[in-house]
Amino acid sequence: MIAALLVGSLLSTSGFLIQVCTRNPLGDPYLLGISSGALFAVTLTFAFPPQSPLIFVFRPLAAFIGGFLAYTLTHAIAMKAGYTPTSIVLSGVAVGTTLYSLSLLPQYLILFDIHKVFAWSMGSLTGAGPIELLTCLAILVIAFLIVHNYLPILNALNVSDDFVRELGYDPLKLRRIMTGLAALTASISVAWFGIIGFIGLAAPHIARRLLGSGDVRYVLPTSLITGSVLLLLSDTAAKTLFLPLDMPVNIIVSAIGGPTLAIVLVRMRKYAGS
Amino acid sequence: MLVVKNLEVFYGNFKAISNVNLELRSGSLVAVIGPNGAGKSTLLKAIAGMLSYNGTITIEDVEVRELSPWERVKYVTYVPATIATTVDITIGDLLLSTEGVDLGLLENYVRMFDLGSLLNRKIWEVSTGELERALIVRGLSRFSKVYLFDELLSHIDLRYQIRVLKHLRTLVSAGRLVLVASNQLSPLLNFTDYVVAIKAGKLLAAGRTVEVICNELLKELYGVKAEIVKHRNIIDVVPIDEVKTELNLS
Repeated sequence: MIAALLVGSLLSTSGFLIQVCTRNPLGDPYLLGISSGALFAVTLTFAFPPQSPLIFVFRPLAAFIGGFLAYTLTHAIAMKAGYTPTSIVLSGVAVGTTLYSLSLLPQYLILFDIHKVFAWSMGSLTGAGPIELLTCLAILVIAFLIVHNYLPILNALNVSDDFVRELGYDPLKLRRIMTGLAALTASISVAWFGIIGFIGLAAPHIARRLLGSGDVRYVLPTSLITGSVLLLLSDTAAKTLFLPLDMPVNIIVSAIGGPTLAIVLVRMRKYAGS
Repeated sequence: MLVVKNLEVFYGNFKAISNVNLELRSGSLVAVIGPNGAGKSTLLKAIAGMLSYNGTITIEDVEVRELSPWERVKYVTYVPATIATTVDITIGDLLLSTEGVDLGLLENYVRMFDLGSLLNRKIWEVSTGELERALIVRGLSRFSKVYLFDELLSHIDLRYQIRVLKHLRTLVSAGRLVLVASNQLSPLLNFTDYVVAIKAGKLLAAGRTVEVICNELLKELYGVKAEIVKHRNIIDVVPIDEVKTELNLS
């Protein structure tokens, strides 16, 4: 249960920051390739002996580097393609799909312990120990403290780069810090629990709907709650609906997340043309 | 007092502003005019400290770009006429998306510019004129010494053009300095004390509106033969020859 709350908060922070930085309602660590980049890098760490205590350092580190590089690549391709909401998501899908398939390759070739890698990469909260939970908590707190400092400026960033400059900040620098935090929060979650998609996308949208406002100062804390609750409900469903089977939570989340994405897309149509 | 000395702004290798010197007294309403691409917006953004420049720009002897964000808003406010509307926020969110908003002021201006019924609308659900009104209200809702309006009057209708210009007059009489960059010469020029005319990044003329504005200046700025029509001391700019040819008059 604590794992669901922490991971839900991490993923919604990540999705929320990406949505603000790209001004794209489809911002999500999974859709933009961050999760797959982290997944690929972490898959490689399975080559180390699983008992090694270094794994607790290596895995999150690998996840962050993989996630951040994947996002940088997505960003670079999207820039070349005009940086429209559509081109950002499409280049994220391109990067994500490639890295996802690359991460399957070692499993297929049975280079590593296939069952362990498979069980982890499906996206499940089962088996969260104290070290996993504490690192998640630490990253969440760090991210929250940094973001908290910038909240009023993030409101400006959410609307226009000129509004950020008017307050004396460099929008590019600000975006680099915030996307770095988005990669960090998503990566730690991938490192321990595999890919859990759509929470990052759905939580901020549900928060905005509940609040009837897009004010960053209220949407961020609210989406931590909506993300946690969403993941907690999904996890409970995954653990109880198919007893005695323990389903990976990501299957449930994706089943909810897909329709959410569809709803967002239809709502977006109104202004996609402008 | 706003003092601009030896101002130069570069976009890469392109020199957008070259060697501009200006002194503008507090308590005046200033029109910044010039053709498209002359550097009007660049000049305003430099004054707001939004881009890097060579030279000095001071407001009451303070260089704005060296101030912290929270002090900065007390000195200068930049108001664009439009923004990209792809973000999922309401007009109400837009009004609050900055530092130093005074809620009492905001409430007054929301009433003055009839935004009350639009507060819960998404920014892509309102007209460009309504969006410009919201941006004007957002800018006016904080106390600054200098207000910079970029492309003001572009989208708002005659009623609100007059309303905003009249209100800028009262701000100016309260000691603020207001710069308005616009292509809507009338009604703008009837409300301004001074005119700053720029072309290709250079200062072409600066001085009192009545002294600076003449047919020759307009010809030089826009390459159009226009006539200043003064009707009971009201200035109107009419591109008289062009209109005559179009209507087959002589």
